[in-house]
Amino acid sequence: MADTTRRPGAWHNLGTVIAFEVRRTLKRRSFWAMTLAVPALMLAISALVIFSNGSAMKSVDASQRQQVPFTYTDASGLIDPTIAAKSGGTPTSDADAARAAVVAGKADLFIAYPADPTKQTIEVAGRDKGIAQPTDYAGIARSVLLASAKEKVSDAKLAGVLTGTPRVHELTYADGRVAPGVASVILPGAFLVLFYLAIIMLGNQMLNITVEEKENRVTEMILTTIQPTTLILGKLLALVAVGLVQTLVLIGPMLVLPGLIMTLLGANLPSSADLPPDALPSMADLASAINPPAIAVGALLFLGAFLMFTGLLVSIGAIMPTAKDAGSAFGTIVIALFLPFYAMGILMADPHGVASQVLTFFPLTSPVTAMVRNATGTLYPWETAVTLVLIYGFAALFLALGVRLFRTGSISYNAKLDIRKVFSSRRC
Amino acid sequence: MQPTPVIEVDDFTMTFGDKTVIDGLTFDVRPGETFGLLGSNGSGKTTTIRALLGIYTPTAGRLLVQGRPYDPAVHGGLSYLPEERGLYKKETVIDVMTYFGQLKGLPRAQASAWSLHFLERVDLASHARTRLDKLSGGQQQKVQLGVTVMANPEILILDEPTKGFDPVNRRLLLDIIEDHQRAGATVVMVTHQMEEVERLCDRVLLLKDGRAEAYGTVTEVQEHYGGRMIRLTYAGVLPTSSAYVIETNEKNYAELSLTSDADAQVVLRQLLDAGVTVRSFEAGLASMEEVFLRIYGADAAKEA
Repeated sequence: MADTTRRPGAWHNLGTVIAFEVRRTLKRRSFWAMTLAVPALMLAISALVIFSNGSAMKSVDASQRQQVPFTYTDASGLIDPTIAAKSGGTPTSDADAARAAVVAGKADLFIAYPADPTKQTIEVAGRDKGIAQPTDYAGIARSVLLASAKEKVSDAKLAGVLTGTPRVHELTYADGRVAPGVASVILPGAFLVLFYLAIIMLGNQMLNITVEEKENRVTEMILTTIQPTTLILGKLLALVAVGLVQTLVLIGPMLVLPGLIMTLLGANLPSSADLPPDALPSMADLASAINPPAIAVGALLFLGAFLMFTGLLVSIGAIMPTAKDAGSAFGTIVIALFLPFYAMGILMADPHGVASQVLTFFPLTSPVTAMVRNATGTLYPWETAVTLVLIYGFAALFLALGVRLFRTGSISYNAKLDIRKVFSSRRC
Repeated sequence: MQPTPVIEVDDFTMTFGDKTVIDGLTFDVRPGETFGLLGSNGSGKTTTIRALLGIYTPTAGRLLVQGRPYDPAVHGGLSYLPEERGLYKKETVIDVMTYFGQLKGLPRAQASAWSLHFLERVDLASHARTRLDKLSGGQQQKVQLGVTVMANPEILILDEPTKGFDPVNRRLLLDIIEDHQRAGATVVMVTHQMEEVERLCDRVLLLKDGRAEAYGTVTEVQEHYGGRMIRLTYAGVLPTSSAYVIETNEKNYAELSLTSDADAQVVLRQLLDAGVTVRSFEAGLASMEEVFLRIYGADAAKEA
């Protein structure tokens, strides 16, 4: 009779595997080159953008400070000659001659105000100064008209309303309570971003969890010192630790260095006072946007999806003979995983339709679809329950399959594993 | 009284699909002995080792190491050199050796110190910080050996240990095995090299089609399957005789297999009486290679 005694020491050598895997990854130059390349590239682009923006703003400021002399005709009678003169304007009665002077390059700008500027178009003819010297001729025409109109309104409030931006505070209600709005998507949606980053940064390493031992033909020696489940778990935990290091390396500079660059370049970050009054949510809005159940579901979906994807990649790695062979399968899996992004319009417009349901309950597309729908508040409680059971069920299945395939498949060194052979080796 | 076996295999059967690779195999390995597991390609030797070490799940039967199913957490004193071998090629020699030392239960510092000592012994100390893939094939073999014997294992299981080894490393490996034999280690060897079997093994098991074809001490197997032989160099023409069968006869060298009641002295007298000039004459048991060829000759011919 076959021995079916449960083996002791299931986690024997787990710490050794984690330490070895983390240490060797962090010692690798290629790891740091890849990890630092992303923030370095982002910082370089940010610096370039900030520098360019600074130059452009200075250029615009300079061009704005430099008055553009212009001629104008005023059929509306609204233009105040004093205000126009302060802006560099000279009235003319010969529109054709003024326009011809601009066309001939002898004058910079001609503006023809129509009889009714609210219904008719203001004609602006300007001399082109090239892309390098942007000009806002339409802005000049508009600002002279607005300033002149304001002068004609005696009520200061009315003048303010006409020329300023009124402050608005909007509240919407759902189920008798203030609806959190778009801000409520941020926290549950963050898990989707986290999942995306995890797959991008760690996907290949997940695949290598089982491929490496196989390619190096080290499996048999390893498996006599450690249980396959422990080895895979150790490598997985090491991967998470490495992922955290990568995240810190990515996020750290992004938090600190842009401010430093701005300071070094002498540029200023826009203050909240410069922004329109409803551009930023208030603290109360943010507080009302915190939806603990949605965040909890987002976290559970993320964890389940991470485990499911890892189990799948471990299984693929155990079947394929080389990392190159496994890589092509990895590409297919990634496309399937992120397929819901291409169907985002459908998920938003018809979250309970057939297409959305199929994407929600098909194992490979389920994680991303469920995370999107959870973030946007369109995932029903029963759907949440089914999805979680589905994702965690498949995660357990794939991980168990991965361990089983690794045990047998990783000593099938030269060829793709025959899965029938794995399952035909049976106990009595 | 027989000592408690270090390894016990009892009625072990292994099937893959419809194919039975091992069929009711039973044997044991005693403490301190060197045991040879022999057989032609595909006879089930490696499958038996893999099932013993828990890499394969047996279809039926009981496979025990020191009285219990193999468990890495318990059997830290067992070391295995598989037929398909390799190491983490992108890592340095010392890192890989230290890692395996830790997996075998040594503290990190001790594993590192043992590794450096071994590398000194095999003239690789200057390569301790070199990546494995930068070493020559022979140097990698030495590192593989170090990993196998580190932490002074009580039980060594070696699957085709000298396969692919150059003569220098083969000599080194055999010396290391003998060192461990002297230190009282139990050694299990899977091999096709019959001279190694004769030199190192106390007992052997010959597998054929998943069953034990021969099992016992080397001498017992030689007596049972090979019988007594005469090897001689001569001049003249060998006479026919009911006392022997001519197994080999070329370039004045012959191997004669004695019939059961024949006497070597009588045969020598017959040869001399027939006018044969005998230059050398050696009577003894059949070599293990001859035994192997007798058992697997037909299989080997089929494979060829």
